[in-house]
Amino acid sequence: MKHRGLLTGLLISFVLVTFTWTPLIAAEQKGTLVIALDTLGGQNLDPILETRASHAHFQAPVFDSLVGFDFEKGGIGPGVAERWELAKDGLSWTFYLRKGQRWHNGDPLTAHDVKFSLERTMSKESVASRSAALRRNVKSIEVIDDLTVRVNTKGVQVHFPASMSRAVFQEGQMMPKKYIEKVGVAEFRRKPIGSGPWKIVKSVPGDRVEYEAVDYPHWRGTPKFKRMTILLVPEESTRVAMVRTGEAAIASISPESLKEVKSAKLKVVSVPSTMQAVYYFWGTYRDDQKNNPIADKRVREALSLAIDRKQIIDHVMNGEARWPMPFATFGYSVDMDTKKWRKWSRKALRYDPARAKELLTEAGYPNGFDLKFANTALPGTPYMVQIGLAVADFWSKIGVKVKYKHYEWGAFRALRRGQEKLRGGASMYRTAGRPVAVARYMSGFHSKSLSHLFGNTKGDKNICPALCKEFNSLHKLVVAEQDDATRTKNTNRMIKLVADSWVAVPILEGMGYWAVNPKKVGAFKPIPGRHEFGDVFERMPLPGQMAWK
Amino acid sequence: MLRNLPWLSVGIIAAMLFMAIFAPLISPHSPIDQSLPEKLIPPVWEEGGTAKYILGTDIFGRDVLSRLFYGARVSMIVTALALLVGGGVGLAIGIVSGYVGGRLDSLLMRIVDAALAFPTILFALLLAVTMGQGLQTIVIAISLLLWARFARVVRGEVLAVKGRDFVALARVHGCSPVRIMATHILPNVLNTFMVLLTLHVGVVIVAEASLSFLGAGVPPPTPSWGLMVAEGRGKISSAWWLSLIPGIAITLVVLAFNLFGDWLRDRLDPKLRQL
Amino acid sequence: MRRYILQRLWQGVILLALVTTIVFFLGRLTGNPVDLMLPEDATEEDRTALIETLGLDAPMYKQFGIFVVNVLQGDLGVSHRYRRPVVEIFFSRLPNTLKIVPAAMILAMIMAIPLGIVSAVRRGSMIDRVSGTIAVLGIATPNFWLGILLIYVFSVQLGWLPSARMGTPLHYVLPTITLGTFLVAGFMRLIRSSMLDILDSEFVKLARIKGLSETTVVWKHCLRNALIPVLTLWGVFMGGLVTGAIVTETVFAWPGIGRLTFEAVIFRDYPLLQAVIIMDAVLILLINLMVDILYAYIDPRIRLAE
Repeated sequence: MKHRGLLTGLLISFVLVTFTWTPLIAAEQKGTLVIALDTLGGQNLDPILETRASHAHFQAPVFDSLVGFDFEKGGIGPGVAERWELAKDGLSWTFYLRKGQRWHNGDPLTAHDVKFSLERTMSKESVASRSAALRRNVKSIEVIDDLTVRVNTKGVQVHFPASMSRAVFQEGQMMPKKYIEKVGVAEFRRKPIGSGPWKIVKSVPGDRVEYEAVDYPHWRGTPKFKRMTILLVPEESTRVAMVRTGEAAIASISPESLKEVKSAKLKVVSVPSTMQAVYYFWGTYRDDQKNNPIADKRVREALSLAIDRKQIIDHVMNGEARWPMPFATFGYSVDMDTKKWRKWSRKALRYDPARAKELLTEAGYPNGFDLKFANTALPGTPYMVQIGLAVADFWSKIGVKVKYKHYEWGAFRALRRGQEKLRGGASMYRTAGRPVAVARYMSGFHSKSLSHLFGNTKGDKNICPALCKEFNSLHKLVVAEQDDATRTKNTNRMIKLVADSWVAVPILEGMGYWAVNPKKVGAFKPIPGRHEFGDVFERMPLPGQMAWK
Repeated sequence: MLRNLPWLSVGIIAAMLFMAIFAPLISPHSPIDQSLPEKLIPPVWEEGGTAKYILGTDIFGRDVLSRLFYGARVSMIVTALALLVGGGVGLAIGIVSGYVGGRLDSLLMRIVDAALAFPTILFALLLAVTMGQGLQTIVIAISLLLWARFARVVRGEVLAVKGRDFVALARVHGCSPVRIMATHILPNVLNTFMVLLTLHVGVVIVAEASLSFLGAGVPPPTPSWGLMVAEGRGKISSAWWLSLIPGIAITLVVLAFNLFGDWLRDRLDPKLRQL
Repeated sequence: MRRYILQRLWQGVILLALVTTIVFFLGRLTGNPVDLMLPEDATEEDRTALIETLGLDAPMYKQFGIFVVNVLQGDLGVSHRYRRPVVEIFFSRLPNTLKIVPAAMILAMIMAIPLGIVSAVRRGSMIDRVSGTIAVLGIATPNFWLGILLIYVFSVQLGWLPSARMGTPLHYVLPTITLGTFLVAGFMRLIRSSMLDILDSEFVKLARIKGLSETTVVWKHCLRNALIPVLTLWGVFMGGLVTGAIVTETVFAWPGIGRLTFEAVIFRDYPLLQAVIIMDAVLILLINLMVDILYAYIDPRIRLAE
């Protein structure tokens, strides 16, 4: 007992620190962080009731996801599970949860919750957008022990963990098994609890959601603000006004407002690589389009060379956009040779109207031709319309007579199904930033997909020419390949196939734009590729804690 | 009569018509050709302005002045068509309802009641998403807004005219109802109809602006005053000329038509209670 | 009187049925909400699954049949987007709109009455013209632009008022002005022409002969009678505002039913859209009916004529 004094001292300090640590955190938390958004979706607090990305704003603070983010580069990183392994035979993934996580009511978060949450997400009542995909991919889920859970997949699913991250989708969100089983689903929807750094205080439909920070340390980051309110303000100029007056600290904006925001001495936070503006050519593989100019690859390439992307980036997007990489790929995309592709896009997507005219003449259209062009914009990215208008203008400048038609988003989505109206023409489109590009390629080019840009074998429509068959087989190779090197090689081949076809052409890489009042919140860094701040709120410092540059 | 003409109003109206009709001749540039490097140039009298673009340029580098002229044309066409369709239908229904009376009148007026208070912007939206944005859609949508007002006021007038002697005389002579409505009733409600037309020009122009704001108006890149105001609304401090100039144009023209209409009503029949 | 009310109610029901049917089919013509709910990489199977979950897989006539049966039982369905009963959503937002509409109407009346009286009394003069101009300014400026300008001047630049949303009484000021100025011209014109009528009438001449001051004549005797026809306009405007303040609600982030309707259209949320339109129609018919009854009560000429 030589060191009794020391031991006692240590024990006392340990006790003191433990007991004061929590109140210390609580004491430092103060103020209300106010954010103004353009949409709150259906404002459902039950994860299985929301379909699209809007959930990531207001559900993410409350619910943790099985897989998380790489906060520096974007893409996936540790989440509720701190690591995961693919079995030797490739048919299951084992997730190892981190210790000490708990629900807002104090219950510990265990593997049972993971199993429960995934099964709930896959259930028939779930309208979560990829619940059907989950049902297709997952065979069963086993609880190995309190902190280990195994997901058995149907066939090899190399990228399954990615789909459990909010970097990709919302289906990995964890829900409390004991609580829901005890109080029932209806009560859970009225008073939801999660395991995230924020608790729900109140949700007023059509108006706002109010949160309160947890007062214990959280692995995602312990909130510096005591409270948070997310407001629904549909009109952009009003959102900007609110940030100017300080009624909101942060507001989502579009490039339109950038000048206005900067001249008002507010800060702009641009989240890089959140989306890619592209245009598609529809139905080029069809027999009845044989004589259509766009069926000729040279014409399609010419149309890309006619676009001065730098001008669009500088002027339409006010400099807040980047040179794109190949279709649906970004700096944080996995399984690809990023360096090589960046070089490729600098050259292939350059502005070269002389060469464009040359190609057109070669293909037999020295005086241009008529081209149907459908412009549209998703809610949330209204600037797609401006980009489309600029693209159409560039095409007119090389002699193409653009038959421009503007569609409201809902009407355009309806068109995409049968595609009769779109066939033989071009349209604007966009793709969201995701670390795994394969899924996007699948939905764009696979013959069984909704867009089937290379060919169509749904039902009895068997039009799958050479390009289409090649894609289908490449896709099969990529999806199930467990060897990283082979998979990367084949993914690159798939990207090249699409890039060389000039059927889906990137215009620019867009960003998520936010106006920030520096007097209301300190400087913070967004997660690359993630427009929504649902996983960043807890990392935002109080004003004055971190200076803005 | 010429002495008392509201000259200012007439002048503004004439100016707008002139702009609309002669737009292709008087516009220094194309209203839809873009010139991205020349975007957001302020008007000539501001610092940074240039005589090349007297009223400045928008976010695509398009000339605001030219868009103003062509926009007058679009607004005028939409207005004329909407008034023709909506006003015409309202006139017809008003006459028939008022003259025939009875159950038909009752039914028609109930429908008019509902239509009058119904959120026609909603129907315009629905039409826009069903039929797609375009000139036809907007004309039909705004006509829906107008017909009920015309019908109600015209009917009121018809009730007054109906009781007059010459109508009874015509009936006694055995004229068919259609004949009576066309040759006796119609000319006597034309005054009211004209006043209504002028007073509703403003309604149409402003409705078109609101629809453009909601994304259901004249589709880009065609310029219309309403669309120009909607497009420029987020840049009040950094590029005020984008929405202020067409906004002032709208206000002036609507004011002018309204004052002219008020004057017309006073001249033709000041006791027009229903206006 | 009772017969009149019953007749109106019956006509209202028929109209409702008509409107509902039109909206049911018109809405479905515009596209499937499923397309707006699915992410980019959805497959055909995902789409089919979601359609099933939402109950959109039945043929059209069957869906209509189910709908009619439900409506008759008072069940207007569940919103695709909000996943809550549409009736609940509607009534949770209705009070917000109801808070601002009367305020706008009262503001409009406060502005319209003096303008109307002055221009009637001084008919044909410069004052008449000027009053007319002021009144018309309210309808000569697109609603949304006025709102945005007001926010810019009074909230951002001057800092006197909050820019948007509900909250304190101060929050009501700008939206009320934006909504109210729209109505001023309509009220003013009606008051003016009513006043003109009355100023010419026998009993006013009598009052003048009796030696009553002009002010008393105008404000005490004429105004009361002039306001009666304005009641009908109240009904029309009330109904229109409650259901149609979409633009103002959007600009000021006011969570009312105007904005709700707009979203229902954009997102093809059929159940919500149908419910909103049905409720709107009911509201309007009720308001019109009440106004007509009130009018009949107040104006004995009409009451006796019925």
